[in-house]
Amino acid sequence: MKQLASLTRRDFLACAMAAMGTAALAGCGSASSSTGTSTSASTTSASQDTYTLVKDGQLTIASDLANPPLDYTDTSTNEPTGFEVELMQAIGEKLGLTSVYLSPVKFDTIIPTIKQGGTADVGVSNFTITDERKQEIDFTDPYLDSNQGLVTAKTSTKTTQDDLNSTDVKVAVQAGTTGESWVEENLPNATLVSLDDPVVALTGVQSGLYDAAVADLPVVQYLVNNSFTDCQVSIEIPTGEQYGIVVSKGNPALTSAINDALAQLDEEGTLKDLKTKWFGSDL
Amino acid sequence: MSHMHENAMTRGESHHTRRLPLLALALSAALVLVATMALLPVSALAMTTNKATARPNEDGGSGVIGAMDTRLTWEGTVGGDEEVSSITLSLPEGATFDHASTRITVLDGLNRTSIDGTATSSGNSVDVQFSEGIPAGSLVRLEITNMQFPADGGDYVVSGSYTTADGQSHALDDSAAITVIANTPLQAAVSWLDAQPWVAAWNSNPFLGMFFKPQLLLTSFASLFPGWLVCLGIVLACYPFAIVLGLAFAMLKTSRHKVLRAIAICYINLLRGTPLFLQIYIMFFGLPMVGINIDNNVLGVIVMAVNSSAYLAEIFRAGIQSIPQGQYEAAASLGMNGFQTMTSIILPQTVRRVIPTVTSDFITSYKDTSLLSSVGVMELMMFSKNLTTTSGNITPYMAAAIYYLIVTLPLIKVVGIIENNIARSERGGGPRPKRRAVAGASQQASKAEEELAASAEVSHAETAKPAADVFAALSAPFVSHPTVDLGGVADGE
Repeated sequence: MKQLASLTRRDFLACAMAAMGTAALAGCGSASSSTGTSTSASTTSASQDTYTLVKDGQLTIASDLANPPLDYTDTSTNEPTGFEVELMQAIGEKLGLTSVYLSPVKFDTIIPTIKQGGTADVGVSNFTITDERKQEIDFTDPYLDSNQGLVTAKTSTKTTQDDLNSTDVKVAVQAGTTGESWVEENLPNATLVSLDDPVVALTGVQSGLYDAAVADLPVVQYLVNNSFTDCQVSIEIPTGEQYGIVVSKGNPALTSAINDALAQLDEEGTLKDLKTKWFGSDL
Repeated sequence: MSHMHENAMTRGESHHTRRLPLLALALSAALVLVATMALLPVSALAMTTNKATARPNEDGGSGVIGAMDTRLTWEGTVGGDEEVSSITLSLPEGATFDHASTRITVLDGLNRTSIDGTATSSGNSVDVQFSEGIPAGSLVRLEITNMQFPADGGDYVVSGSYTTADGQSHALDDSAAITVIANTPLQAAVSWLDAQPWVAAWNSNPFLGMFFKPQLLLTSFASLFPGWLVCLGIVLACYPFAIVLGLAFAMLKTSRHKVLRAIAICYINLLRGTPLFLQIYIMFFGLPMVGINIDNNVLGVIVMAVNSSAYLAEIFRAGIQSIPQGQYEAAASLGMNGFQTMTSIILPQTVRRVIPTVTSDFITSYKDTSLLSSVGVMELMMFSKNLTTTSGNITPYMAAAIYYLIVTLPLIKVVGIIENNIARSERGGGPRPKRRAVAGASQQASKAEEELAASAEVSHAETAKPAADVFAALSAPFVSHPTVDLGGVADGE
């Protein structure tokens, strides 16, 4: 028994070393594959006109698909749908690529994923362009103007910013969003609860678990009108933020290619048509 | 900076059509302003300061720390008949806007107005020149990223001035004070790490920098600590309830009555057959809907206890049924009734057999508290998720992993020791007083085992009294021989 125990300990060490080695190798592997798929891997600085793609011929998109009507999974077809999804299809067509959505990932992991590279080419999940995020990744030109909305239950008595800035108030947000930092700065006394997506946040508000939820206005308006009819948008927070597509800093050619496509779509009126289709008006 | 402005320029052009009416409005407003400026006192029309806030930059905390990059957000509304062409914001001495970048947002209600500008920062003030006049009634937001407050902390107000289109300069109202805390030792340590060349070299490796960034590891340990306490608190609070519930349902399941058995089977199968994640969602979102509002942490304890109890019930049932029939017969022959048989013969032996499995289940429960983060319980995963969000780095998750391992690794070791001990004593071996001395010399018995053996002697002495049955039962697995007085049946297995 004794000998066996010490043996396993040694084995464990060996295993741990092997595991670490594999992990490091895996890291190298994914890093090289992200650059290796392009036509010229070694000349990343020289190749200004060619962008790199995770998979040739397709634009791989990471999103949390939890922000109706911008990006969500259609329950009847089980396919991603929404304003952003159709926009990305249009951009894909302009670039001559097939737009492929990965399975939904958590919002707060998208920027690290894009920064690391190797999994997805772009992150599209109503990312507000902020200077903080710009230090990590590149943004394309904005494709939509937006604001924040604060949702409370219709029966709630705490509906103003003053009412809600109190220690016994719980405000739910989606982790890593501009809504989260708005609550941090403007409701400093309230308890901040960071959740995976706005749908969970509103579920909590409807059930009374949280007093309020803050998320992007188009999203909460859609949710309040369609699913969470016991809730209301109590405060429309004018932030005037703009959504951009997240691209790795190591892939500037893709950013400019998408910018060109966006400009074309704007000129042709496709962008406006999409906004009218999904929001009823050109926001 | 330049990149940002290029973006802003293309944005401005794409919305050209929308600008025209605004321009006309702005021009007419300017004319009215010039005409009225001579007649009316300025104060009645002045631009108002709505708010000034700073983004918390304390890792895992909510404080604004001085001498560290943060983001200042200033909001003001252009007064009645004014048109604003530039704004200057200033902070007290010690604050710095150097290296900061400024994002300008002009809003008419909820609609964005395409007005851009250039910001020039010098020391503790920043001057923003707008590309065109901002019309009356507009909301102006300036977000100044990577600015710093003075190092020594305190309350700071943002003051400043603005100029109108006609070139007049007016003072801005002071904002509400922003509370800034002085730099903490932890942050000082992080700054020290920042300056080390080996840290830079380490971080330049994408794998090491993303998973084991030393600076973040340090701050993560500090800020994850409260989350770790919550995890431990929840699992320690839930486990006694889980054991009691589990034992009760184990009894029901081994009962002779069909109905009682059915109840136990339903309970255990429902809970074992559904994911804990689902149970958490049902309890956390369901109970408030029927008007039951329980504190998140308490509800967390309840869910974990109920879930664990189902697994424990099965463990206890298996334990009870593993006791040979002969034990029941022997107890009966001594004239014991069913209750006595259970409490003084069967359960003490069961406890020693199930301790390893129960400990494993405890480890599982401890790890499963992480699922509670999805419903907003402020435990380890929640804290590390927040940190990863703000840092865009995986290191906080690694720090959380270490916090989990601190508890689980020793427990896994303990399970191993107990299993060995039980296996030996069930074979009839184990340290007897005489043999132990020999065994200690030849087999290098581990320290832990010696301690266990010592505790066995202690409990041997203490459990002479029948009143100490419970203690005896609990310490049974650490004892090489059953210590309860079984009237000579003890070695009968």
